[in-house]
Amino acid sequence: MLKSTLNYNWQKSRPILGTLLTGMLLLGTGCSSSSPPKTESSDLQITIIKDFADVVIIPTYQQLVAKAAKLSQTTNAFTSNPNETTLKAARDAWIAARAPWEQSEAFAFGPADSLGYDGDLDDWPVNETDVKAVINSNEKITQEFIGNLQTTEKGFHTMELLLFGNNNNKKAKDFSPRELTYLKALATAFDATAKELLQSWQSGVQGKPPYRQVLVTAGDENNPAYPTVAAAIEEIVQGAMGCLDEVGNEKIGEPLATKSAEGLESRFSHTSLNDFKNNVLSVNNAYLGEVAMAGTSGKSLSELVAQKDPELDKQVKEEINKAIAAIDAVPAPIETNLTNESALTKLEAAQTAVLALFSTMEEKVLPLVQ
Amino acid sequence: MIYKRKIFLVLFLIGAIATISIPILLGQRTQAIPLAGGKTTVFNRTSSAYEQPSAGISQKNFDLHGEGDIAFEAVFVTPPANINPGLGPLFNNASCVGCHIRNGRGMPEKGQLLVKVSQNPSVTSGKVKDHLGNLEKTVPGGSALPVPGLGTQIQDQGVYGHPPEAKVEINWQEQTGQYQDGSQYSLRSPSPKITLFNGEPLPDSVMTGLRIPQPVFGLGLLEAVSDQTILDLADPEDKDGDGISGRPNQVWDVEKQSLVLGRFGWKANQPNLLQQTAAAYVGDMGVTNPMFPEADGSSDIDSKTLEVATFYVQSLAVPGRTLLKDQKVKRGEKLFAAANCNKCHVEELTTGNYFIPALAQQKIHPYTDMLLHDMGPGLADNRPDFDASGTEWRTPPLWGIGLTQTVLPYSSYLHDGRARTLEEAILWHGGEAEMAKQAFVNMSEGDRSSLLRFLRSL
Ligand code: HEC
Ligand code: HEC
Repeated sequence: MLKSTLNYNWQKSRPILGTLLTGMLLLGTGCSSSSPPKTESSDLQITIIKDFADVVIIPTYQQLVAKAAKLSQTTNAFTSNPNETTLKAARDAWIAARAPWEQSEAFAFGPADSLGYDGDLDDWPVNETDVKAVINSNEKITQEFIGNLQTTEKGFHTMELLLFGNNNNKKAKDFSPRELTYLKALATAFDATAKELLQSWQSGVQGKPPYRQVLVTAGDENNPAYPTVAAAIEEIVQGAMGCLDEVGNEKIGEPLATKSAEGLESRFSHTSLNDFKNNVLSVNNAYLGEVAMAGTSGKSLSELVAQKDPELDKQVKEEINKAIAAIDAVPAPIETNLTNESALTKLEAAQTAVLALFSTMEEKVLPLVQ
Repeated sequence: MIYKRKIFLVLFLIGAIATISIPILLGQRTQAIPLAGGKTTVFNRTSSAYEQPSAGISQKNFDLHGEGDIAFEAVFVTPPANINPGLGPLFNNASCVGCHIRNGRGMPEKGQLLVKVSQNPSVTSGKVKDHLGNLEKTVPGGSALPVPGLGTQIQDQGVYGHPPEAKVEINWQEQTGQYQDGSQYSLRSPSPKITLFNGEPLPDSVMTGLRIPQPVFGLGLLEAVSDQTILDLADPEDKDGDGISGRPNQVWDVEKQSLVLGRFGWKANQPNLLQQTAAAYVGDMGVTNPMFPEADGSSDIDSKTLEVATFYVQSLAVPGRTLLKDQKVKRGEKLFAAANCNKCHVEELTTGNYFIPALAQQKIHPYTDMLLHDMGPGLADNRPDFDASGTEWRTPPLWGIGLTQTVLPYSSYLHDGRARTLEEAILWHGGEAEMAKQAFVNMSEGDRSSLLRFLRSL
């Protein structure tokens, strides 16, 4: 989810460079041709799009569904028998469910936004005032009640607040009966939403065709979203860029600038570093056409880039690994380490590595596919 | 470190562009490609197409745009809170981007669809009971009289424990029609059922108008078009006898405290982007701001936040066209002109002076005249807004419209989102656009599909 606070610390230097570069290349290549992006498509491109749907996007959402089911089961077990063991199981399940979700953020286009699943699953920040008010009220907590709540009062981060407490410091005995009921209902709703999201890609919801169909028929004359295959390939690159921009400039950049844990995405559970890493893994998966967690792989953007510029493909892979290693090097949890100079230096290095990958994607990979 | 390097590169590139490319850009290329946003155009045909900063803006403006991006995405919560406090108590959505999804339009659904209301002066029976927390006020020159207790917009959400003003349900009605070649089509129209917070139905004395969120890219360019350019396109008496008039709206400017040309919103009821943004904060999100403060003069956000959010919509780029060499697209473009679509959806305008230099003096291709047109009873909401009558609507720009389903799959067209496809949007045209609609209805299937493909190339 977009994670914005009103503390400004904007520091990326994207578009002037990007758009001018793109412009230059276009001008360079085609004074005579009048169409900016090239539109011819190859079999490889078509396979890449198909595999992007079938071995990357859908398997990632399948992982989310499996882990959401586990989260719901363990939450049920905890709320019906609250003790430290059942609590730990539920917390672990929450952390496990985060991974596929954050790994989906480089391809958050399509139904995730337009049908509101992204908001229902992962809005931020938590509306703590209202969450407290819900807990302190007598209103019956049903699935319908959860359905009508604002998105900042459900999903990952509200569950996180309830499960871990405000600073990863809650004990099983601290849970009030209302909190247990609320938590259980949230996990049930979350499970249902994750299933629907997968369904929206796989078989279609609300009488709409599955979104997989839209993506894999890119280039067909009546395709509603991608009239050219090139546009669908570009979607992979732009998605990766959007994700890296957000991790580098907002998710890491914001706490770096403010030195406050308040802006860290998963600060209640002290797992924000996981989110950064999983976001870069999302880019990795989109670029390489694989999902390690699901054991799937196929044709990928990486091969297309390698065909045109093998050195560049090598560079992208290296930079992905460097970014992951740089995030791994930050001492966890970052939530309690923001006053530690050496941790901050490592966090800054992680930001630099993420933004280096962003620049390569923007300045070198994007022009290749446009 | 890397930022410094980048700035250097940028300067270098600007130099390179200026010496090598601008002559090309201004020469052959503009003849070959009608660049949607002039030199500010970006090339991106993906779901992030509406999220790009204008090409060619300065580093300083680029940074400001980035701050605005954060403000536009910020999700507000109930105070007190450390992050983004100020939501409500009444609201429709908690963030700008929650309605203008990926900076595109929104859906005709709760949390995104707005119901504008006003008191019908000629109906006296029926009164709405006062509802706490409503913030809209009467403005001079406005024909939309606030409904006591509701104001001019229904906020259908409240922070926890605060009842919303009303519950809005939309039922869709289908009707069928026929092309000249005999093929059938089906259109849907909304009928809202509005129940007040106390369980009573909305009285008949209240006029309603439904609005989906509009796309917000390219708006700085439209703000940069001079009043005179727009007024020159007006033909209120239809002196040229083409059945198409086109009138400016005159709306209240809160800063100037006077009536000025209206530009933004489906009925052009806002004069500029600052006021549009400030009104969105207070009306759509319950976030008070320096232009629309609390009774005691304080506000939830400061002027810096209001400014950067405004700057964001002012500096969002227009995506360039696609499929320019496609034969059907070329044919569709001719048919668009032949059917007189371009009498309202004017292809080319030139911007005037503007505070963002890159946006000034640009030849742009927005496909709008920024004027109000009578679109007939089929589309009427029968709720006047300043000079706009109940049947008049501002011609919406068509640039980037081909990306609507890429950015927001399943979204729809026209002021209330009734048209599920571009085809349906055309078929709803009436009034001054009746002839253009008839031209479409009379086209062969091949020509209709060429015209639609042209729209999808925009
Ligand atoms: C609840 C949904 C909602 C929210 C939240 C919202 N808007 Fe809007 N916006 C709309 C609707 C609906 C319209 C059309 C209004 C009309 O025609 O009267 C609109 C119109 C606009 C326009 C005019 C577009 C044009 O082409 O004329 C701009 C600019 C805009 N909004 C910016 C913003 C900003 C900035 C924010 C956040 C501060 C925001 N909006 C929040 C629903 C919303
Ligand atoms: C008399 C002026 C006029 C003419 C002529 C005209 N339009 Fe429009 N068009 C409008 C107005 C005004 C609207 C907005 C109506 C509404 O929202 O209810 C509109 C809306 C649209 C929309 C939907 C835009 C959106 O953002 O939802 C499309 C598409 C469109 N017109 C295409 C066409 C085509 C194609 C033609 C020619 C066959 C045409 N128009 C002729 C004035 C005109």
